[in-house]
Amino acid sequence: MSADERFRVAARPGRERLILELQGELDMASADLLGDALAGANLANSDAVVLDLGGVSFADSTGLKAIFRVRKLVNEGGRKFAVTRGSPQVQRLLGLTRLDEHLQTLQTPDDELD
Amino acid sequence: MPAVERGERRPGWAVALLVETGATLSRSLDPATTMSEVAKLTIPALADLCVVDLANGDDAIGEIAAASADPDLAAGLEELRSRFPLDIQGPHPVARVIRTGEPELLAEMGPESLRSFAQASEHARFMIANGYRSAIVAPLTARGRTLGALSTIRLAGGETYDPDDLELVCELARRAALAIDNARLFSDLQTAERRLQAVLENLAEAITLVDRSGRTVFANEAALTLLGLESADALVDAKPGEVMSRFLVLSESGEELSLEEMPARRLFRGEPVEPLLVRNIVRATGEERWIIVRASPIVDPRSSRVMYAANVFEDVTEVKRAQLAEGFMAQASRVLASSMDYTETLGRVAKLAAGDLADWCAVDVLGERDRIERVAVYHRDPEKLALAEQLDRSYRPALEDPVGVPEVIRTGQARLFNDIGEHDLAKYARDAEHLRLLTEMGARDVIIVPLAAATRTLGAITLVSSRHGRRLGDADLGVAVRLGRRAGIAVESARLYTERSRIARVLQRALLPDSLPEVPGFEVAARHRPAGELNEVGGDFYDVFPYRNDTWMLLIGDVCGKGPEAASVTALARHTLRTAAMLGTPPAAMLELLHDALRSQEPEGQMCTVCLVVVDSPETHVEGKRARLRIALAGHPRPLIVEPAGRSRAVGEPGTILGMVDPVVVNEATVELDDAETLLLYTDGVTDAARSRTQAALDLESVIALARELALGEMLAAVEAAAVTSAGGQPQDDIALVALRIARGRSAGAGGPPAAARRGLESPPNER
Repeated sequence: MSADERFRVAARPGRERLILELQGELDMASADLLGDALAGANLANSDAVVLDLGGVSFADSTGLKAIFRVRKLVNEGGRKFAVTRGSPQVQRLLGLTRLDEHLQTLQTPDDELD
Repeated sequence: MPAVERGERRPGWAVALLVETGATLSRSLDPATTMSEVAKLTIPALADLCVVDLANGDDAIGEIAAASADPDLAAGLEELRSRFPLDIQGPHPVARVIRTGEPELLAEMGPESLRSFAQASEHARFMIANGYRSAIVAPLTARGRTLGALSTIRLAGGETYDPDDLELVCELARRAALAIDNARLFSDLQTAERRLQAVLENLAEAITLVDRSGRTVFANEAALTLLGLESADALVDAKPGEVMSRFLVLSESGEELSLEEMPARRLFRGEPVEPLLVRNIVRATGEERWIIVRASPIVDPRSSRVMYAANVFEDVTEVKRAQLAEGFMAQASRVLASSMDYTETLGRVAKLAAGDLADWCAVDVLGERDRIERVAVYHRDPEKLALAEQLDRSYRPALEDPVGVPEVIRTGQARLFNDIGEHDLAKYARDAEHLRLLTEMGARDVIIVPLAAATRTLGAITLVSSRHGRRLGDADLGVAVRLGRRAGIAVESARLYTERSRIARVLQRALLPDSLPEVPGFEVAARHRPAGELNEVGGDFYDVFPYRNDTWMLLIGDVCGKGPEAASVTALARHTLRTAAMLGTPPAAMLELLHDALRSQEPEGQMCTVCLVVVDSPETHVEGKRARLRIALAGHPRPLIVEPAGRSRAVGEPGTILGMVDPVVVNEATVELDDAETLLLYTDGVTDAARSRTQAALDLESVIALARELALGEMLAAVEAAAVTSAGGQPQDDIALVALRIARGRSAGAGGPPAAARRGLESPPNER
């Protein structure tokens, strides 16, 4: 199975934000696709980027690194960054690494941002 | 010399004049000469001044020839006419005659009449001054076309013309016209022929004309050059088939072609003719060219028979060579990429090169202690192959030899040697036997190119063509240089691959303790299973070493990523933690130190998870023994304590992963381990070996529950086996496990059996 079969990113506009919907397994093999998706997205009318992790079944530390790289790029562009909850495994990993403390986690991708 | 003198009008003089005219006119086929001969014929018997005017098709009258007994008069008129060309629409009798095609007899011309048709006043003065008196103007008509006019003029003092004279002049004019027309036609024909020849000569395409007997009747410059011939005469004088015998003509697939198979011969036999691509080798020089031969028929219109065949040769050597080179390189690249066993690969490349480029190919590499080693050799001829092998065995070159393979290896510069003669071999040979072998090999051209890796020359590829084969030239040198580069890269990669596997094994060992120390009062065991290929250094690490105040430290960690960067971070992590521990740094501070070290690493973003456990000595209680564990976690899975009943509990408080975000929050947790329990540290490779959905996730707790009664080392082996199985036998991630138990049934520090479960590595422990 190649990375793009196991992982997909779809961009859609939300409330003054760009929502990247992630599907599948976010690991070493698929991390670059997330970066590519952000690089290819139009952020002109967006004040924020939300990664919708609802469809992420699995992530490893490389996957988390990819999420934080996106966060860094978005923040550097003067925009807000948030995520939604992923699978229990993803949430467990975020808790284990205490990286959840560094992410704004929304219930739904269109929720109000801080 | 005219046979008739003025005034002596002997009987039959006119007939004599006409005979004379015929003879004179047949002498020349040059229009200008013919015109002037015609003019002269009439002097002096028929005229004092004779003028031939030719129409040039435009409005003016073009060429003129004048003759007179007085050369000044003739020259004066020619000069005047050149300045004042006659207007063909004007009143001048010549213009009138050319327009009408009818002769005119101007028996008596007075000054008035001369002035009336003069082209200019100067012209009128000229005619009057020279005493123009009587004139006949006859049309020069041939093949129904009036070419111009013949004018005879008598000056003052002479007789005037009569109708008999008119008739004679008209007859003369008719003959002259035919002669002039013939001369003109011939001239046109010559011009056309010259033009055609010039076109043929200057064509880039080589062209020859062959007659039915096979004799070459024409060849242009390009044909001579292409066929390597000295002159057209050599070609034209050659007997049929003789020219062909100078060449070895091969089809595209390499079969020799006979004269009968050439397009021109097929044409004469009435067979359909297709352009034919041939490989033409000049036998004398070995020069090879790729040529497309086309033949077109030149048919005799009367008999409809093919009289000649025009051969057009198009030299496509460059295109064909480039195409062959591409094909060869593509094939060579495929061979080179096919295997990491470079000796075998180079053998196949040598065979390929010996087939396509030369007769013989050898590959030498620079081995240990700068020895030149033959790794591959191939010759089309098995006998010669044996000879080549013997040559190498007996006379293997040394790196310091001045020419040949050693020179190319030293300088990295490709060499092409053409026309190697006995003299060259004698200079190169070390002794008589060497010379004999070299002579027997029969090399004519040799190419030696470096086997070039990115920064150094690994060896050399030698291509040799023998006496009877094709010549090696600059184009081949280019292909060979490319081959050398491609092969060099392949050899380098193969060597690096082998090297890397070795380094990876060494490095991996350096990242892990050779064996576990004996921890008094405890049993300790560890397992490590790198993921993927041998040459990938994994990111998991563990360590066990004495910490301050008679405590011990167990640690396990996972560096994000794989390969050399991960390996360097693993080394950094292990050594930072060891050093910090040696200096007595508290666990949380150790982790912060590592975090800072990672943050200052290049490239940025290297991260790592770590679990540290400080183990106090076991203390004896009423119920048994118990040991205090202080656990510090940084992004790492919480260790498990497996209880006797088979349940396990995760212990420790999650801490921030290292190298990623600031600040790092680590909370030390203290737990108790009793002598019926087992502490298990693991990396996420164990639990994540199976991915959700695609594989059944490992139920670590059940596995541990089943394995808890086993000896510590066996328990870890069982956990690892379960993890590998759950990943379908091929885990994507490293797996590391460390386990600790209080030594059972014995008091702490009482010695007992070796507590350490050896990892089975051959080297003795050296890190105590």
